[in-house]
Amino acid sequence: MTEPEVSFEQSQAELERIVERLERGDVELEELTRLWERGEELYRRCAEQLSTAQGKIEELAKRLGDESA
Amino acid sequence: MKVEATEVDGRKVFSVRAFNQGIAVWLERLPTVWVEGEVTELRRQERWASVFFTLKDPESGACLSAQMPRGQFDGLRLELVDGERVHVYGRPELYEQRGDFHLRVLTIERYGLGAHLASLERLKAKLAAEGLFAAERKRPLPRIPRLIGLVTGNDAAAKRDVLTAITTRFPPARIIVAETFVQGPRAAPSIVTAIADLCERGADVVIVARGGGSFEDLLPFSDERLVRAVAACPVPVVSAVGHEQDTPLMDLAADVRASTPSVAGRLVVPDLDELQGGLERARTSLRRSARRIVEQRSERLAATHERLGRAPLLALERRGSRLEATHGRLKTLSPRSTLDRGYAIVRAGDSLVRELPPSGTALGIEVAAGSFGARTE
Repeated sequence: MTEPEVSFEQSQAELERIVERLERGDVELEELTRLWERGEELYRRCAEQLSTAQGKIEELAKRLGDESA
Repeated sequence: MKVEATEVDGRKVFSVRAFNQGIAVWLERLPTVWVEGEVTELRRQERWASVFFTLKDPESGACLSAQMPRGQFDGLRLELVDGERVHVYGRPELYEQRGDFHLRVLTIERYGLGAHLASLERLKAKLAAEGLFAAERKRPLPRIPRLIGLVTGNDAAAKRDVLTAITTRFPPARIIVAETFVQGPRAAPSIVTAIADLCERGADVVIVARGGGSFEDLLPFSDERLVRAVAACPVPVVSAVGHEQDTPLMDLAADVRASTPSVAGRLVVPDLDELQGGLERARTSLRRSARRIVEQRSERLAATHERLGRAPLLALERRGSRLEATHGRLKTLSPRSTLDRGYAIVRAGDSLVRELPPSGTALGIEVAAGSFGARTE
């Protein structure tokens, strides 16, 4: 499932809200696994976005002749 | 003194010498007077006994030869130059040998400087009252000008100084030069026109430059028309007139005052080397920042992910301990715990005994360890 319109910051914020809820224990037992899975999915998406951004930065730096690397 | 004429064929005839003598004598009877004019053609040489100059009427151009003993002239320490307006005190005199008439000068006073200064002060006060010199009117110079307009005389020095200063600091600068009169009555209007012309051609900063000169030379730069034009100029104006000590009124109306033409040149452009250095530093820190942002996000994400991994178990544990606590509370509510504390439950038949039973009633008694029977007395 991809949600390209959701920003990194939005995903990160949702992930943090989920973690806080779980840590408070403020969650239905049936919801626990669902929330956890949702958290893992958000994490994967964020990590992917970060690594894409990093790749772009390095690529651009290389293309511009990166004396400062 | 008596001038003798000779009788020739029945007419009285004077010799040239006698005639000149007669005129000279007659002229000597005229009073000593003050004459006002401009000094021109001033000639002074160490081996001459007198200093010679011509007094000129600035309006009509009428001329009057004048001479003064050199010692007296030097004693006045006026340092006169051509074009200065003076009051001269003297009397007419004839050079008999040549029949030349001149003014024998007894003293000279510079005229006009005081008058000029006073009128300049009045103009300065008037323009200051209008706010033309106010600090809040001053505009900053463009950081990198697109097109620099330079107004200057066609004499090399000031122009060369400005151009050299600009191109040394910032070789790619674009400059247009407007050559104008920089002294005399035509200077102010021609500079006003040049400024407007340069603005029209797209200059985004204008320099008005002129090397040093006498007080009179610099007077056009205090001309009201020019001062107003500088204040009203749509782009910033840098004034670079004369030397440090000269302050024509244009300086006060300009956005920036440069002490010399060279300084003006350095002020309007940035140092290209410095600029490139700064750009390079900005580029480096841009990359560094971009990398740092990704790094920080990664670290935060990793930390959150770690918490996420622990969270479900933590939630279950919390839930488990809450269950235990509830169970504990439940247990305190059961009668067993009361029996544990040494209380007993007494029954008569099936019902609990709450009132005094009749004698001989069979009772069932339950304690923590078990039950036994009893009978009332």
